[in-house]
Amino acid sequence: MHSIFSRINNVSAFLSSCMMALLAAIALSSFVFTADPHGDLAISSIKVVSSNARRYPNKKQDLAFVHFNVTADLTPLFHWNTKQLFLYLEAEYTNKQGVKNDVVIWDRIVRRKEDAVINFAGKNKYMFRDISSTFKNSPPASYSLKYNVMPYVGLLTYGEAARTTEAVAFPPTQSRL
Amino acid sequence: MFTEELKAFKRLGFRHVLLQVLNFASVIASGLMIWKGLGIITNSESPIVVVLSGSMEPAFYRGDLLFLTNPANQLYQTGDITVYKIPGADIPIVHRVLETHDTKPKQSSKTASISAVPLSRQRLLTKGDNNYVDDIELYKGLEWLERKHIVGKVRGFLPYVGYVTIAMNDFPQLKYALLGGLGLLALIQRE
Amino acid sequence: MSSFIQEITEGKIDFEGQHLVDLIAKSVLSGSAVVGFLVGFALQDLRVTFGIMALATLTLTMVLLPPWPMFNRHPVKWLPSVDTKAKAE
Repeated sequence: MHSIFSRINNVSAFLSSCMMALLAAIALSSFVFTADPHGDLAISSIKVVSSNARRYPNKKQDLAFVHFNVTADLTPLFHWNTKQLFLYLEAEYTNKQGVKNDVVIWDRIVRRKEDAVINFAGKNKYMFRDISSTFKNSPPASYSLKYNVMPYVGLLTYGEAARTTEAVAFPPTQSRL
Repeated sequence: MFTEELKAFKRLGFRHVLLQVLNFASVIASGLMIWKGLGIITNSESPIVVVLSGSMEPAFYRGDLLFLTNPANQLYQTGDITVYKIPGADIPIVHRVLETHDTKPKQSSKTASISAVPLSRQRLLTKGDNNYVDDIELYKGLEWLERKHIVGKVRGFLPYVGYVTIAMNDFPQLKYALLGGLGLLALIQRE
Repeated sequence: MSSFIQEITEGKIDFEGQHLVDLIAKSVLSGSAVVGFLVGFALQDLRVTFGIMALATLTLTMVLLPPWPMFNRHPVKWLPSVDTKAKAE
């Protein structure tokens, strides 16, 4: 500590230890907040349309168009260590070949507490298609709204905010919308 | 110019220099041990990664540090943020899982006796939060991402800390200056 | 001239000063980390926490790094040199 350089060295070393402890404390403090908000999710209509596959223009591919309503108040998830919320709506079903599918059809990033009251009606943002290229005879799917809380520092946490009360069946394929 | 340093070097003697070299080697070896140990615990080939692109903004920016795990007996789920490496591509990509398709493996008597519940074969599709479309163009001809391509999923997050490595990649002179300076300090330090 | 520059850049302080610097640095830094955490948690704002830390760091660099006279109040008193040569002759 006799020269400026050794003082810089010692003080910055202790500063970085303090910062590490502080960041760890902030990361741990997120576990104090255990909000588990719930909302409502309703599927208003589903259409299945036959279309051309994205990569193989000669192959047919069924696309599902899902219209839905979500309402949820997710403000309790925002605390001092919440950087953003990643919301996603997914369809869960097991097709007739026995493949278990989870497909995200809509998502939204919420960055401010003021925007965390979700009231959205609309249709899927991402293509919803089955891995076997057709939804024919596929068992009904259930839909759920899930969230991922992303912190400024620390662990990522996941949760489920809403779920359809019963599974929704896929209608027969139409040739066009 | 370096006469002072040379004089100090001579005064320290051969054994002291050897000791410094040994110290330096032990620092490097313990760093490597920690890295590999973490790799074994998390079952991931690189348990800590630095975000290199802006495709996950505003969740992750360039230079953020991510901590990964790759639990061997768990399937990935939608919403998980994975780090994957396509064969032929040199940098790993950090993107969120958009679709999972799990196929139950056929129960044969041989595999059933070895492991109680064989894990489903999983096909994944990913997308960057900041991108408009999914990643299928990044897969270099693959239809789906599979378990073997995945390095791990993001569990923890520390902002900005990794920016040093990005700065060193963008300005290689900085890397050599830093290495040279550290080496010189380690050799001529008198304490 | 060169010794003057060296003195400026080295900024030497005495042993009592070193002890004081160490004490101030440790207590202020750990104290502001605790206070920053508590105040930030109470106000639910991370910016407050890091603002307090930044302020503490800035103050410490101003107070601790330059060789202020208060760190040089206890100069080492050397014993008078014994003139061995004169005795031998």
